[in-house]
Amino acid sequence: MLQDILSGSTALFADGVQTVLRGHENRQRRVVLLNGNLVGNVRGESRGISARVTKNGYHGFSSVASYTEEDAKAVIRAATENALFLDGRAKVKRPGYPALAGGAIEPKVPVIDTEQKLIIEAVKTVDAYVEKSCPKLISRTVVYTEDSQDKIIYSSDAASGHVTYPRCYIYVFMSAMAHTGAPVELFEAFGGLGSFADNFGDLASIYPKIDRLYGQVMDKTEGVYAEAGNKLVILGGMMGGMLAHEAVGHTTEADLVIGGSVAGPCLNKRVGSDLVSLVDYAHTGPDGRVPLPVYLDDEGVIAKDVPIIENGILTHYMNNRETAERFGMEPAGNARAWEFSDEPLIRMRNTLILPGTDKLEDMIASIDDGYYLINSSNGQADLTGEFMFGVSLGYEIKNGKLGKALLDTTVAGTAFEMLKTVDMVSDHLTWSSSGFCGKKQMMPVGMGGPEMRCRITIGGR
Amino acid sequence: MRDLKETANRIEELLKEAGIGKYALEVKETEMRELNTELETFSLFRTIFGGTASVTVFMDNKKGSASGNDLSDEGLQKVIGEAVASAESAEADEANDIAPDQGRKQVSEGPLTADMDRLYDRMTELYDAVGKEYPKVRMMAMIGSHEAEHVIYRNSNGTEFDCRDGRYALTLEFSAFEGDRGTGLAYTEIALRDLDRPFMEQSDTRRQIADAQAALTVAEVAEKFEGKVLFTPRAMGEFCYMLMDNYMSGSRVLSGESMWLDKIGEKVASDRLTLRLQAEDPRIIETQHYTLDGFAAENVPLIENGVLKSHVLNLYIANKTGRPVTKNTGWSLVIEPGDVSEEELLAQIDRGLVVGGFSGGEPGANGEFSGVAKNSFYVENGKIAGAVNEVMISGNLAGLFEKLIGLSDELVTDGSMAMPAMLTEGVTISGK
Repeated sequence: MLQDILSGSTALFADGVQTVLRGHENRQRRVVLLNGNLVGNVRGESRGISARVTKNGYHGFSSVASYTEEDAKAVIRAATENALFLDGRAKVKRPGYPALAGGAIEPKVPVIDTEQKLIIEAVKTVDAYVEKSCPKLISRTVVYTEDSQDKIIYSSDAASGHVTYPRCYIYVFMSAMAHTGAPVELFEAFGGLGSFADNFGDLASIYPKIDRLYGQVMDKTEGVYAEAGNKLVILGGMMGGMLAHEAVGHTTEADLVIGGSVAGPCLNKRVGSDLVSLVDYAHTGPDGRVPLPVYLDDEGVIAKDVPIIENGILTHYMNNRETAERFGMEPAGNARAWEFSDEPLIRMRNTLILPGTDKLEDMIASIDDGYYLINSSNGQADLTGEFMFGVSLGYEIKNGKLGKALLDTTVAGTAFEMLKTVDMVSDHLTWSSSGFCGKKQMMPVGMGGPEMRCRITIGGR
Repeated sequence: MRDLKETANRIEELLKEAGIGKYALEVKETEMRELNTELETFSLFRTIFGGTASVTVFMDNKKGSASGNDLSDEGLQKVIGEAVASAESAEADEANDIAPDQGRKQVSEGPLTADMDRLYDRMTELYDAVGKEYPKVRMMAMIGSHEAEHVIYRNSNGTEFDCRDGRYALTLEFSAFEGDRGTGLAYTEIALRDLDRPFMEQSDTRRQIADAQAALTVAEVAEKFEGKVLFTPRAMGEFCYMLMDNYMSGSRVLSGESMWLDKIGEKVASDRLTLRLQAEDPRIIETQHYTLDGFAAENVPLIENGVLKSHVLNLYIANKTGRPVTKNTGWSLVIEPGDVSEEELLAQIDRGLVVGGFSGGEPGANGEFSGVAKNSFYVENGKIAGAVNEVMISGNLAGLFEKLIGLSDELVTDGSMAMPAMLTEGVTISGK
């Protein structure tokens, strides 16, 4: 854990500017076994200090890849010079933002290091299980990834604190030959918040999930192409989470609203059916948890939930301190930075479509000819809300029953049109948190949702 | 703070003290200055001073790597300790190795100091030009930066690469608006050695901005058909990276999944296609001077006149599979130009698309892809009818290059690749 060497440097915070000083350490651990061959075995750490100084709304930022009191002084000085560079050339005045209540946040989750030997043994154990239990695979890959952020934040006119974000995962990738003569693939990530021992103290607990994944890959080897067109489908919770994040969440980030996203003219208007509510949770979701809790952001804002869509009406954007002032909203702790050298950007935390009251089995039974789309391999969306998700796992629904698995396909649509077609929402939640969101910087995020019945355009072959 | 060479020397001393006879190390220091805008206003000026040390050790054919940015003695000892601990925990594998002695090589390219006043002026000039020439285009974000990097790579076989590199970069995010109606977001990035010319005249900046404004005129595509597609040079870059990753990458070869596993020397694409990975090329700024295995990077032909010449294999995978190592594991792809203009290629499309970008996932090993055509236009009778929304394209990745009809005679370079436009056929186009 980072030692606090920054508290003395707050005496250097100047009057007439707003300053945030951040000590920041990231750790990465990675082990990769491809068909039993160790092709990745890496440990990495980066640590440094950054300062952001704001003068008349103009931000100067500086960082250095070392961690001493002298470094803290140097970055405050350099950030101040940068703010003055912009302020001195400015032809227009930028709006500032008011001071916030102070406070101090303590770390909630410890960052605990694990010996590489234990990690490699765990990966080899899982790989051996896959090799033994999944005989028809043509290729298998087992990956351990761990990343953690450890930050000490001091702000001149908001809250301060020490926050930590450790997470780790074991990914299992499987590939098998389909009846088409070409390979089909699936993967699943196991793990989440916390360190190695929190997630992988009992490796046997993930074996049933590996067995299920293998069954799904085998289903896919007999898979069929989806029929292209606009179809009645059930989107699984992972797909709902992807939709919440990519197609809705990004368009409601206030910097993208200012850039012209579709959410701009839609505030306080209907963007989904009555059954659709969407929240960016800070640290406690409706089931009492979130995958990646955030308590304090990198502008010194104490984190709160942001209700983005309430019963189909778009009600809020996600903001930093500057955009919150512009839109007359409350900043809620969305300004986050990935590395010590990164400036805080507006980012999602744990974005979730809220569950409803329907049962999944009733939803499947209600469809004569459609699809149950369970897992997405990737997803992208535009400022217009136009989205594309790759579907890596799905099944036909014929006469109210699940049919054959689908070969890889793609769904696309426009979020605020598609959400209006949602007419059934399950009472079951699926969260996910592996991987990164990319927006200039990487950022770990959580996302999730219930199963939703809706209409969507599916790509077919 | 030590000089970078002293840091490399110190790491070697510590490795020898730890009894490590086989190793590779890389020490790097970077200095980056970056101007960010929001709409028409400069909002952020960022200065970053960075430095890292990375060490890979080999112990009885076991390999472990670690990196850190604490370059004090204590920090360097920690990095070495972590690398040793990783290696000790690994399986012995004779395929783990480093390149033989490549000698000592020094490189210095590009401006090592930043002219931020000039960069500020060039960015302001681009804003003014967009406002005057393309008034419906809204520049959501502009990021201009200068980065100077000094890297020293050494290994226990005696190789040393000492590389200094300076470059400017410009990233633009923009779309066009008429009232509340907007186009999809366009994104472009270029790397430059100097600021001598206006940004509007660099690479394909003008074309991309003009295309955004033109995309306000929309064409409806309501059905599904198979047609010809003209991929712009930018889109060609995307599909060539996918081609390399899907059929030629080490992971696909090691897993045995590559559909081109045993196709070296065989025809895999139209004989019009020649694709190379470049190391020494005046058009390429984001070049690779050496591979992570310690080979001096070379220009590598991947496909020549449609014939597959090489996969892209690092030393471990080359040793593991008994295949030749690829002395370039970067991403700087160059395609030889064709002999007709892009306009002449467009004129050959009876019904199809100009595709400027692709929003879709990596295709599976079989190369089947489907996704949304972004920044794209519908074409009828050789003329652009309007921009398309929610139109999906699907097909087979290798098939695109087998059915190649023509390449344009002009290349676009953004500092990381040099690509022509490509006309191909057999792409399934599905409207809403």
